[in-house]
Amino acid sequence: MSTVLPAAAEPRLRGAAPPLLAVLVVAGVGMGAVVATAFGLMPLYGQPDLSLDGWRLNRSDLLLGVRETLLIATASTVVACLVGLVVASLVLAAGPGARAVRALAVLVLALPHLVGAVSYGLLLRDAGLAERVATSAGLPESAGWPRFVAGPWSIATIAELSWKESAFVALVVVASLATSHAARTEAAMVLGASPWQRWTRVFVPASLPALGASGLIVFVYTVGNYEVAWLLGRAYPEPLPVLAYRLFTSVDLGDRPAAAAAAAVTAALALGVAAVAAALLPRLAAALGRGVGAGGSR
Amino acid sequence: MTATAQRAALGALALLAVGWFSVPLLPLLGWSVADRWSAPALLPQETGVRGWVAAWDAGLLGAGLRSLLLGVVVALIATPLGAIAGRVLGWGRTRARVIVAAGMLLPVLLPPFAVSMGLDVLLLRARVPGLVATIAVLAAFALPYCAFTIGAGYAATDPDIESQARSLGASARQARWRATLPALRRPLVVAAALAFLVGWSDYVVTLLLGGGQLITLPVLLGSTASGSGNEPAVAALAVATALPPVLLLGGLALLLARARRPAR
Repeated sequence: MSTVLPAAAEPRLRGAAPPLLAVLVVAGVGMGAVVATAFGLMPLYGQPDLSLDGWRLNRSDLLLGVRETLLIATASTVVACLVGLVVASLVLAAGPGARAVRALAVLVLALPHLVGAVSYGLLLRDAGLAERVATSAGLPESAGWPRFVAGPWSIATIAELSWKESAFVALVVVASLATSHAARTEAAMVLGASPWQRWTRVFVPASLPALGASGLIVFVYTVGNYEVAWLLGRAYPEPLPVLAYRLFTSVDLGDRPAAAAAAAVTAALALGVAAVAAALLPRLAAALGRGVGAGGSR
Repeated sequence: MTATAQRAALGALALLAVGWFSVPLLPLLGWSVADRWSAPALLPQETGVRGWVAAWDAGLLGAGLRSLLLGVVVALIATPLGAIAGRVLGWGRTRARVIVAAGMLLPVLLPPFAVSMGLDVLLLRARVPGLVATIAVLAAFALPYCAFTIGAGYAATDPDIESQARSLGASARQARWRATLPALRRPLVVAAALAFLVGWSDYVVTLLLGGGQLITLPVLLGSTASGSGNEPAVAALAVATALPPVLLLGGLALLLARARRPAR
């Protein structure tokens, strides 16, 4: 006798309406209001008046902000991806110290960026721990300590962002290869591949989708991060989030459209880069969701 | 390369990786127990709890409780919503999956500060309290992490689990609550922990939408770090902000390891 099981109802799109609505309302209304404010359509007082003043008045700050933001995001993403890749291969190789490296990566991922920024400040500033170690190791005091914090190249900001995000990249790559890595490496060994060949021709190509997806998430995140650059960056020029926040909290309410313009450009940069990357690399788009799930909250 | 040389190279690289992750945290740990640590000393000249006393006086307890509450409420909202989206992400048809995934990626791609700035003006006009606005935005930003984590759990679970429960007489609702969700215990717990961390760790959304009234631990840490010059107090606040995520993660790892053992 054959029994026909009642089929489980296949979840329909309509079933996901509450979470979709929640996200669309919050993100859509928020971004809609930012764009409207940037064009003078949502003034804090007075009548709405379509205007480009918000874009015009702080044009040079806005352009410098874009440059600064792209510099920080690109450098942080490149370093995070390179270090993350090496850390992932160490964890997957399961050699000496691999468990400690993995545990530390998880710990760093769990820490708020603000905590990391505070610690990097205490490490890299003048008379910070790094300078003390360098001086005790023989660095002459006359050489002077480079301005890592609040200096011209945003070194401390990039260092903190790439430090924490390298843990994210590493854990996403590890999660994506955890089940297949051992068999693949073994097959390459049997075929006579050297350790270096196994790394460059087996591990790196296999990790590319996860690396690309996590790299894109890191780039987008670093474009929009406020607190790290605010605490460790220089006063001028500011990256877009810092510029936007300063204008937003300015005593002159007339700065609000300029703040909204900076926020709109930040969002456009993040969405634009993600759209171009997803269009050029369809596999990347598919890996994005898995990356968010595997890496945890930022 | 011999096997011994290979292990030595791996060990050296692992040591470098341990340094990369742990060295940046050393100043924080040192300053949090230092009463005096003047340059060029490599270790504190005097240890003590001066920083913790100053942090306590600055409002450590109240800020910590507010952060805790914020994290819990965000998790309570984002986890069930994430489970609903995750069901479609894991078991839905391709078209539904793609649409839900695209929607869930939106908060990952948009800068939280930009969304908060836009909402701030509107919510001010609508007289929505800052606390409600902060919770709503943080829950929306925590949702993708919950949805994709639980979605992966659904994808790894055979949908037949519900069919079988139905054939034993369970209603669709009972099958979902008593067969499927218990099987998804692990991703649900991980999702709730991630959502908690979004609420606990947030700085800029709370700052913008809380209107200066909602002093959470990161907000207190930010204002102390930027203005006080009191390193022991800053370090104590930073350690207090870091501890709950670390403890939560450690506890979760233990819990999941224990939950997995009987199944093997």
